[in-house]
Amino acid sequence: MVETAPPILIENLAVTYGDHRVLDGLSLSAPEGSVTALLGGNGAGKSTTLSTLLGFVKAHAGAVSVCGVDPGVAPDAARRQIAYLPENVALYEHLTAVENAQYLLALSGGKQDRAAIVEAFAAAGLQERAWGQRLGAFSKGMRQKVAIAVALLREVPVLLLDEPTSGLDPRATADFNALVLSVRERGTAVLMVTHDLLSAADIADRICFLESGRIVEDVVAHGPDRFDVRALHARFAVATQRLAA
Amino acid sequence: MNPTSLIARDELRLMRRNRVAVIACLLLVLLTLVAVASSWAHQKGIEDLRARQQHEAERAFDAQPDRHPHRVVHYGTFIFRPLSALAAFDPGVDAFTGNSMFLEGHRQNTANFGDVNQSSLLVRFGQLTPAFVLQAVAPLLLIFLGYGAIARETERGTLRVLMMQGATRGAIVRGKLRALGAVALLVALPAILGLAALAATSGAAILPTVAIVLGYGAWLLLWVTVIVLVSTLVGRSRDALLALVAIWAVSVVLLPRVATDIASAAVPLQNRLQTEVAIARDLREMGDSHNPDDPHFAAFKRSVLQRYGVTRVEDLPVNYKGLLAVEGEKVTSALFDRYSGESYAAQGAQNGIVSAVGVISPAIALRSLSMAAAGTDFAAHRGFLEQAEAYRYDLVQRLNRLQADGVTYADDTARDAGADRRKRVAAGNWEEMPDFAYRAPDGATLAARSLPGLAVILGWLVFAGASLAIATRRLGERQ
Repeated sequence: MVETAPPILIENLAVTYGDHRVLDGLSLSAPEGSVTALLGGNGAGKSTTLSTLLGFVKAHAGAVSVCGVDPGVAPDAARRQIAYLPENVALYEHLTAVENAQYLLALSGGKQDRAAIVEAFAAAGLQERAWGQRLGAFSKGMRQKVAIAVALLREVPVLLLDEPTSGLDPRATADFNALVLSVRERGTAVLMVTHDLLSAADIADRICFLESGRIVEDVVAHGPDRFDVRALHARFAVATQRLAA
Repeated sequence: MNPTSLIARDELRLMRRNRVAVIACLLLVLLTLVAVASSWAHQKGIEDLRARQQHEAERAFDAQPDRHPHRVVHYGTFIFRPLSALAAFDPGVDAFTGNSMFLEGHRQNTANFGDVNQSSLLVRFGQLTPAFVLQAVAPLLLIFLGYGAIARETERGTLRVLMMQGATRGAIVRGKLRALGAVALLVALPAILGLAALAATSGAAILPTVAIVLGYGAWLLLWVTVIVLVSTLVGRSRDALLALVAIWAVSVVLLPRVATDIASAAVPLQNRLQTEVAIARDLREMGDSHNPDDPHFAAFKRSVLQRYGVTRVEDLPVNYKGLLAVEGEKVTSALFDRYSGESYAAQGAQNGIVSAVGVISPAIALRSLSMAAAGTDFAAHRGFLEQAEAYRYDLVQRLNRLQADGVTYADDTARDAGADRRKRVAAGNWEEMPDFAYRAPDGATLAARSLPGLAVILGWLVFAGASLAIATRRLGERQ
């Protein structure tokens, strides 16, 4: 029986910027149909982890693979497996929501027909009147919905989220979380970098605390309550205080 | 559609949806069309005027009455430089060098009546020509349309979005190059069509026309490459714009001016007064044909008498005064040629310095290429001056020989009441004198003269392309 590589696999990853070691022996794996949250204070190495998976930052030591592809060796091939939502979703303001989706899908070779796109918009919760509007006046939540819709249409196995709920109101956060869960149901491996402990506790199957470039605690959801939020909060406070010190 | 085409199409869509960009493009196209039309009208006007004046000068020369030939030597004639076929595209130095010359004996005059001396101040500030639009204005438009090509994507985070969709760095840069290249083509097209129309109507040779098209094509392509390169290297659009405008100002405006100032300072040219004083001094030292004790002319007289086997000039079968005039003109012309040769050498050295600076500034190389191919550069002007001098010398010597053969020495030296009438030769002789016919350089010569400029621009293009290839490899790494 052939064992397939997990969508995300990181083993003993080390990344240095000059003399500063940002990641130091980070190991992490995310299976299909899972949501993994990576929590940590500022400078803990969360964004560097995502950049390494995207092939924008080279590993100094260790191994990284996205669906079996090393992004350091074949970044373009690795990126074809990934949908990525940065903290501030970057899309084209001179294009309408539909044109953005058509353009990005054309680049990635995905489905570009309008019917499929508006279906994805509807699934992502983007209101119909926004479909033909240029993105100049879109809120962060609306942009995220466009980006998620594109990710759905691309049918990629990996979704990377960088601080997706920062700046969203509670209603938009709840909508977004529901959207992420629907993506997980399709079998996508979701890796979410966040400061938002409540959101993470709400949707993640696993929460990893990152400190000084390595995972210091790995908590898996179990039972009907999934996580002990109070304990998580205390753990997170300790981690951020230690980092600040 | 491949990623490069998709990215190019989106960049063009962005420009189409930017009202300022569309208006700027339309204005430039309009400006180019106006430049072509006004230059063509200007050229037609000058051509007609010069042809009319040349005809009038020839008619006045031929209409002289019976006269002593030496009076005709001093009466002289005017000649006018015909415009080159592509002068409407790039008038070059024509407006500054003068286009008419008064030819007479004993003097080598310079060209006069350049357009800047007899026109409004606007001519001094630069006539609106297709060459000027493509050299100075078109790059500026490309800068304003393209400075954010890559920097905007980096700044807004869409560069990573493109790369996340599978677009490679190379495809992104090629797409931007293609879009801006299409705009450059749109901008250049009216000027190229205008050039083709000018070439077709004025009978210009194909080779220099092709050289101009290649030169300006490479020039605009160079700007497209530099714009995308700076946009790739600089993370912020505003910084890219500032850097590109600075590059434009230095290379297109500052360096060409500084180059000529350096050349003038390094190789100073004598002004007209200094030259005339120096020539007058040399002429005095050279000898006086009217002085029987002058060593040069005394020796000349002995050689003439010896050649004809006589002892007195009165016994010569030809008019000695005519022979003396031939010799005098020969001696003074040699002196003039020496001075003009020195002046040409100095101007050549100045042009050499400007060309050397042109290696730093491709704008200078482009101007050299453009003027050379259009036949409006210093080399073409020098060609006109040399032909004019050759014609002047031939005309004066024909008249001197007419004096030697058509007027007797006795009549020429007589002072009685009827002597003046006997010294004259028939008016029909003036019509037999050949008219000035300027021989313009052929197409191959003009094209060959434009090659050094083309080589410099192509060299810059290769350098910019290589730099862009290196910058592309690191695109998106440091975000």
